[in-house]
Amino acid sequence: MSAVTRARRYLPFATGGLQSLLQYRSMFFVTGVTAAAGAAVTVFLWRAVYAGSPGAGPGGFTAAGITTYLLVAQVLQVLHANRVDDEVAAEVYRGDVAVMLVRPVSYPLVRFAACLPVVAANALLVGVPVLLLFSFLVPMTAPTAGNAALFALSTLLSVLIAFCVNLLTGMTGFLTTNTWGVRMLKQSVVAFFAGQLVPIALMPGPLAAVAMALPFRGMVDGPLTLLLGRYEGVAGALGVLAQQAGWAVALAALSAVLWRAATGRLEVLGG
Amino acid sequence: MTRTALRYLRLSLFLGGVGLHRLAAYRLDFVLGAGAFLVRVGIQTAVVGLVFRQVPAVGGWSYHEVLFLLGFSLLPRGLDHLFTDQLWELGRKLVQRGEFYRYLIRPVNPLFSLLSERFFHPDGLGELIVGAVLVFWAGSELGLDPTAAQWALAPLLVLCGALIHTAVKLFFASLSFWTVTSLPSMYAATQVSEFAAYPLDIYHSSLRALLTWVLPFAFTSYVPCVYLLTGDTGLLVWLPVVTAGAVLTALAVWRRGINRFDMTGS
Repeated sequence: MSAVTRARRYLPFATGGLQSLLQYRSMFFVTGVTAAAGAAVTVFLWRAVYAGSPGAGPGGFTAAGITTYLLVAQVLQVLHANRVDDEVAAEVYRGDVAVMLVRPVSYPLVRFAACLPVVAANALLVGVPVLLLFSFLVPMTAPTAGNAALFALSTLLSVLIAFCVNLLTGMTGFLTTNTWGVRMLKQSVVAFFAGQLVPIALMPGPLAAVAMALPFRGMVDGPLTLLLGRYEGVAGALGVLAQQAGWAVALAALSAVLWRAATGRLEVLGG
Repeated sequence: MTRTALRYLRLSLFLGGVGLHRLAAYRLDFVLGAGAFLVRVGIQTAVVGLVFRQVPAVGGWSYHEVLFLLGFSLLPRGLDHLFTDQLWELGRKLVQRGEFYRYLIRPVNPLFSLLSERFFHPDGLGELIVGAVLVFWAGSELGLDPTAAQWALAPLLVLCGALIHTAVKLFFASLSFWTVTSLPSMYAATQVSEFAAYPLDIYHSSLRALLTWVLPFAFTSYVPCVYLLTGDTGLLVWLPVVTAGAVLTALAVWRRGINRFDMTGS
């Protein structure tokens, strides 16, 4: 069977994901309010820090630079909120996952197909409006075309990493019924170590070293390093992308192995 | 009157006890929830710490003052959390699935009947403990010496803050009587309440107005903290008015909502 036919199998799941999304249009409004509020907290907090330094302040950021960083970080977070963790956890909890297992498709790939329209819709209907809203309120920096292109590529990789992280989070539904707690834990840890709340450049040495080594760095700090041109030469840019790609592959492999192990011991009550 | 009050108190204790039994059944879940919450507060504190590595003051607030505010903001939130978490279920599904009727046929006030289903929510206890630790630690680092009036008012300030949180939650949860599910707007309101953890002075003026007069979360932490830290009573006099206004508005919406509730047939 060719790869195209195989990929086409997952198309209905993607369109289905889009349709169920459009059923709950008010969700976009909420995601928007949540993102705008979240961005406002960090943006205003850090702008108060940079208020005293007219040129380049701590970490080499200007006031406009740090504003851009934190806002785009929030938009990236919206792209990563693909609901895979909720849905996998819920389907495992309810036992619906059993139905998926008898179909001739791979469940993780189904989830991936279904989350793509969510990511695209979030980018378009939440990310762009939030950026526009803030561009009226606070000054930001415009990236060069080259950096914007690198950022776009890096964002795609970050979406892959976020998918794997959320899939792994959802799979904790095999172990506990309190996936709410696990998801909250994941959200806090990821937001911090991805550099969404504090740019990694502003963390003290040892903490920054830990953050740089973790996969979450590729979700926010990596793409933004490229967007703001905070890298050294082509090698620096490629290094960021290579690290992201490496983690994406590693996490995908880990998900596949754990998925196999988990479904092996899955028990669902009939009804 | 006293007999009714006593009856409700006895019921609260009994039903709260039933809720605590549920904890014992899902121990790992409880540990996970508590752990996740501690990590969240820890990270919030770390962010404040990292901000103050760069500058000595933010918006005129020092490091320990901001931590005091952060801790204080958890107290009303925790108190509210302890008693009213069931409102999330109302916003999420009780109207949607037609399950709400069961609170109308019990021989107690429907609001009490609803809330009592999840009294003494343990997550609220965690918020209260962590908040108190932060407040007392930051207070002692600041060498804070509250007057007798401040000591006396402090618990009232927490109570009023909790009532504001409850009122906002009840208002948005009650909207589900019209919109079937109001979870999205409840989420959005909760997200806005996160602003209360930091000094109002750092925000844009439009945001300050929103937090003071529309969704009055400023009165749950910023206004009490300004009073406790500096003795300034500028906005404090508005606290009883705002609390009463918020609670009465929410109760009015709730009452109109239960009056128009129809069972879904099956």
